[in-house]
Amino acid sequence: MKSGVSARVAAANALDAVVGDGKSLDWALAQSDEGLALNDRSMMRMLCYGCLRHHWQLRAQLAQLLDRPLKKRDRIIESLLVVGLFQLSDTRVPDHAAVSTTVEATRALRRPKMAGLVNAVLRNFLRKEETHKEPINDEARYNHPQWLLDRLRADWPDDWQQIVAANNAQAPMCLRVNPRFGTAEKYQQTHAIEGALVAGLEQALRLDVPQSVDDLPGFFEGQVSVQDGAAQIAAPWLLADGSGRVLDACAAPGGKTGQLLELMGDEANLTAIDSDENRLTGIRENLTRLGLHATVLAADASNTEEWWDGESFDQILLDAPCSATGVIRRHPDIKLLRRETDIATLATLQERILNSLWPLLRPGGRLLYVTCSVLSEENEAVIRRFLVGQGDAVEDRVLHAYNIRDLMVEKALGFQVLPGTEGLDGFYFVCLKKASE
Amino acid sequence: MSILNILEFPDPRLRRKAVSVELVDDTLRLLIDNMFETMYAAPGIGLAATQVDVHRRLLVADVSTEKDDPWVLINPIILERDGVEVTEEGCLSVPGYYESVERAEQVRVRYMDRNGEEQVSKFEGLLAICVQHEIDHLDGKLFVDYLSEAKRQRIRKRLLKDRKYRQEEQAAAV
Repeated sequence: MKSGVSARVAAANALDAVVGDGKSLDWALAQSDEGLALNDRSMMRMLCYGCLRHHWQLRAQLAQLLDRPLKKRDRIIESLLVVGLFQLSDTRVPDHAAVSTTVEATRALRRPKMAGLVNAVLRNFLRKEETHKEPINDEARYNHPQWLLDRLRADWPDDWQQIVAANNAQAPMCLRVNPRFGTAEKYQQTHAIEGALVAGLEQALRLDVPQSVDDLPGFFEGQVSVQDGAAQIAAPWLLADGSGRVLDACAAPGGKTGQLLELMGDEANLTAIDSDENRLTGIRENLTRLGLHATVLAADASNTEEWWDGESFDQILLDAPCSATGVIRRHPDIKLLRRETDIATLATLQERILNSLWPLLRPGGRLLYVTCSVLSEENEAVIRRFLVGQGDAVEDRVLHAYNIRDLMVEKALGFQVLPGTEGLDGFYFVCLKKASE
Repeated sequence: MSILNILEFPDPRLRRKAVSVELVDDTLRLLIDNMFETMYAAPGIGLAATQVDVHRRLLVADVSTEKDDPWVLINPIILERDGVEVTEEGCLSVPGYYESVERAEQVRVRYMDRNGEEQVSKFEGLLAICVQHEIDHLDGKLFVDYLSEAKRQRIRKRLLKDRKYRQEEQAAAV
């Protein structure tokens, strides 16, 4: 097989798994990665991310180009055509190369009879590219499903366009420098790394160009980790009053766990739990690399009777399961896989976890509730109901570092980092304090 | 409370012009407490928010020997200046250098206190000098700006060299 072709074939297969079968992009990429040269892998990834970011626009264009819809059994060809159109409209792949490799891919996909159709559609698009630019509806214009656009408009009347634009952009790679080795500024100077510091986040360094962790100075010695800057707000906030016995609930993959431990010092007493045994491996690997230790348990945060030893916690970090609508730029498949009905289900789960963890907190202790969602139903609405139900809970609005205020929008309850602000992911934070006895 | 990192000349962030404080709340008061702790620990007699990389119009000062006369000035504006005085000034952001600077002997200043209440005070003596020095910080100005270009460059080079030496020393220790 010619190398350019295999990337297109793999991209079409991965896209088909996400769009057709509802698989996650991470899963689909892992399946398609196999046997691909390194170059082709990055080409495939670029194509998949791009096709999902521009999903609605590309599908609308394709519908206009086809005389009649493709048959169900030709679903894979539809994905291949989308891959072809994306290359022609949004990449620097030369047009002739895009057309020839995509046409060739039909043979590799064992649909040689479709080669003529693929060739005709792509060439037709090139001839009439201008006429296909005008989006036919809001979904195609903003490349988001209508239900999500409706919610973003309702929740963020002034900011929804920033959110949508950020969701469709490429996310930067951000590092967290272990404070035991100094600040991000020092790390940047010492290793002459091209990137930007973020005011308010002393340990964060946003790289100008993403790179493999293998090339990051000190990565394997635990000097530095990969973590978005917004996610780095949580640990110092939770530990602003000092640390005691700390619980990190829903901890996988352990980014915040590592950061908590980096800040807690050698006497750290941290329990990290996650309900998914398989994902605990990620936490353990992370901690081994950092040379730090925590009690890591497979445990369900919404069912504490099964595992809690009865000794209360001074601080709890709850990074709750959520729609992940704040990190769409890193996971564009969320736009396709998430259904509107999921949101209410998630909100119920979030509230259940909050209520079940609250008794584990000592009087006077603090719980930081975090989601990577931008939807108020999972954020403020959950907290409002929680506060009504728990008489001994109040919000603590004191921010430990003044500059992080500029990164966040103040809500009636809690604070929201909007995706794209200072290059950050979208995160919601609210700090809850338990009344002293 | 915690001790904050003080930026050092010639860090470009010391040149940023601070914007007004909009809200005097507990988050701001925590910053104020941390600034006092940082200033007393340094030790210094005045500290502007700019020096701790918060670009808001806020300064703290305490020129008393007993360290029992803390002042907080939020969004300060100098209404009047009177007289001329030359003092040897130093700065936490320009460690180790003391130079003569000419300033007003007395100033009348409008500002908000830590409760957000508007005040007008007349400062004289060392406190007047200190307040002027800190307000300069909020405008991105340093006391070395009052010196000759040659002198300023000499200080700049020395401080960069000191810092490089300190970093190498730290790196060797790790």
